[in-house]
Amino acid sequence: MSGRGQVSFRNIARTYGNFAALKGVDFDIREGEFFALLGPSGSGKSTTLRILAGLDAPTAGQVLIDGQDVTAVDARDRDIAMVFQSYALYPHMTVAQNIAFPLEMSGHSKAEIGPAVHDAARKVKIEHLLDRKPGQLSGGQQQRVALARAIVRKAKLFLLDEPLSNLDAKLRLETRAELKKLQRALGVTAVYVTHDQEEAMTLADRMAVFMGGEIQQIGTPAEVFAKPNSIDIAGFIGNPPMNLIPARYVDGDVTIGGHRLKTDSTLTGERDVVVGLRPGALRAASDGVPARVDLIEDLGDTAILDLDCAGTLLRMRVSDIEIPNEGDTIKVTARPQDVHLFDPATKARL
Amino acid sequence: MTTTDIASAPVGGGYDRLLARRERRFASALLAPAFVALTATTTFPLLYLVWTSAHRVDLAMPFTNGYVGLENYAVLLADDRFWSSLLVSLVYTGSTVVLQVVIGLALALLVMDMKRGQGWFRLIAILPVVLSPAVVGMIWRTFMLAPEFGIIDFLAINAGLGSQNWLGEPKLAMLSVIAIHTWQWTPFAFMVLLASLASLPDDIYEAARLDRASAWQRFYRITLPLLRPAIVMVIIMRTMVALTAFAAIFTVTAGGPGTATEILNLYAYRKSFTELSFGYGSALAVALLIVTVLISGVLFALRRAK
Ligand SMILES: Nc1ncnc2c1ncn2[C@@H]1O[C@H](COP(=O)(O)OP(=O)(O)O)[C@@H](O)[C@H]1O
Ligand SMILES: [Mg+2]
Repeated sequence: MSGRGQVSFRNIARTYGNFAALKGVDFDIREGEFFALLGPSGSGKSTTLRILAGLDAPTAGQVLIDGQDVTAVDARDRDIAMVFQSYALYPHMTVAQNIAFPLEMSGHSKAEIGPAVHDAARKVKIEHLLDRKPGQLSGGQQQRVALARAIVRKAKLFLLDEPLSNLDAKLRLETRAELKKLQRALGVTAVYVTHDQEEAMTLADRMAVFMGGEIQQIGTPAEVFAKPNSIDIAGFIGNPPMNLIPARYVDGDVTIGGHRLKTDSTLTGERDVVVGLRPGALRAASDGVPARVDLIEDLGDTAILDLDCAGTLLRMRVSDIEIPNEGDTIKVTARPQDVHLFDPATKARL
Repeated sequence: MTTTDIASAPVGGGYDRLLARRERRFASALLAPAFVALTATTTFPLLYLVWTSAHRVDLAMPFTNGYVGLENYAVLLADDRFWSSLLVSLVYTGSTVVLQVVIGLALALLVMDMKRGQGWFRLIAILPVVLSPAVVGMIWRTFMLAPEFGIIDFLAINAGLGSQNWLGEPKLAMLSVIAIHTWQWTPFAFMVLLASLASLPDDIYEAARLDRASAWQRFYRITLPLLRPAIVMVIIMRTMVALTAFAAIFTVTAGGPGTATEILNLYAYRKSFTELSFGYGSALAVALLIVTVLISGVLFALRRAK
């Protein structure tokens, strides 16, 4: 009940006009957890975060923070800090004034504010920028100012809405690692919105996968990666995502391109299924399914092969020593435990 | 021709400079006619005004006409009516500009929060601006302030204040002309500030809410500083116009009763065209010009500061 930074969403819905942006969302975030909201663009992640922050009100449902119903509590009184995707820095204030603002507003004295601002600036390595205005900073520097402003006040909850999406690839990787360290060091509960599954996988303790205004799966990144519980998630998680192939299932085996593949399923009988195979779980084997190499995307240490397997496209990840030539025919298979089965009608995992 | 120019131009920045010079020359050629026209219509009359102010040009007593040097200015400095009209001008300008900005800003803030009807509000608000100040003066004199029948007087009577001589009593007359100018020009401030408000990003207000700023703190610490350039611009533009206002006051009170609403501009007009003292009238006009330039100079300096 007590704790600091526990969050519960109880059946939260949000409609705009007659468009349902959120269709009943439930989740619990534990104290000190790094929780990611992952999903494609438009799936309702930002709406969820804004409802948690109190910037938007749900049409139905309850938001609980530390066991208290805060659904009707104003954003000001929720003790939440947030990093906006746009950074939302105050353009007329210097970096130091930006970082000091939340402290001033909570009535801290000048004597407390000065050291706190320097401390926050040091944590995100922008001490040398304190006298500049946001307009004189690069995107990466602005992002750090936004971070510093969010951590300077020791808020209960730390929300981040796609904080890295406006940074270039190299900076994104660096900042990602720093974010994780920062969150660990502060021990604060963080809720992190992203459409980038790699970010969610690397940062999150647990994540909720959003699709079309609903949460499709909640779990650790490893759980979601290992056992995606629907076709949609299987097609979203992983880079490249799982191969999804319609096939016929008979007593533990599936037939793809006229070849049988063993699964570890114990279902009996015969039915249509969708088979999910991770590109990295495919391997070459002399008794495998023959497939022609159509295209090779060489990524340096690994390569992605586009295979034509009796008319269906299969993508396969191979290490740099095993790269065949385009036009070759290779034989591929997968271990029974790597074959995922989904119901084509309900899209659910079998 | 171009090729030889390129060849003969020094390498690197030299060619850029050549282009820049050519562009400047072309721009000068384009601007020349406008420049000449402007000089003919502004600088020349201005010089003529200064020239006239150094003369005695009195149509009532033409035999005294002639060059008098700074005599008109000496008279002016000792002229109580000049100082009183200058004071009226400053009070009129100061109060109308402050009222326009304060009311305009308040309206803009209100309208920004309106979910519906913003368009209508803007349309109605713009109406006073497009009316001629002389027409506005007439409207106020007849429909609004006429004893018993005017809307304002009617309201005053119903509010228990009794019928007032709005334009006949010195203090009320001053209040009335200030109210009229404010009524006509507040929409301008409103429109400029509304446009400026609408261009402020929403996200910083959300950030401020999460940073626990109250509504007043959001206004005072964020909105006001961000609107500052627009506010200063409105102040500068409206100050210049108010200092040289004429038509509305002329049609409503003509400076009266007595000299209660006689702004400097009106005094210069009366001297020149009622009393036909063109020399002294010109000196008054030059004085007004100097005051206007000084005040706008100060305002522009304030704008640049910080
Ligand atoms: N203020 C709004 N008015 C109307 N529709 C909105 C509004 N905010 C969000 N939406 C819609 O709700 C859906 C979810 O939006 P959002 O939560 O921002 O998605 P995400 O952050 O996952 O990309 C989108 O289809 C979006 O168009
Ligand atoms: Mg979003």
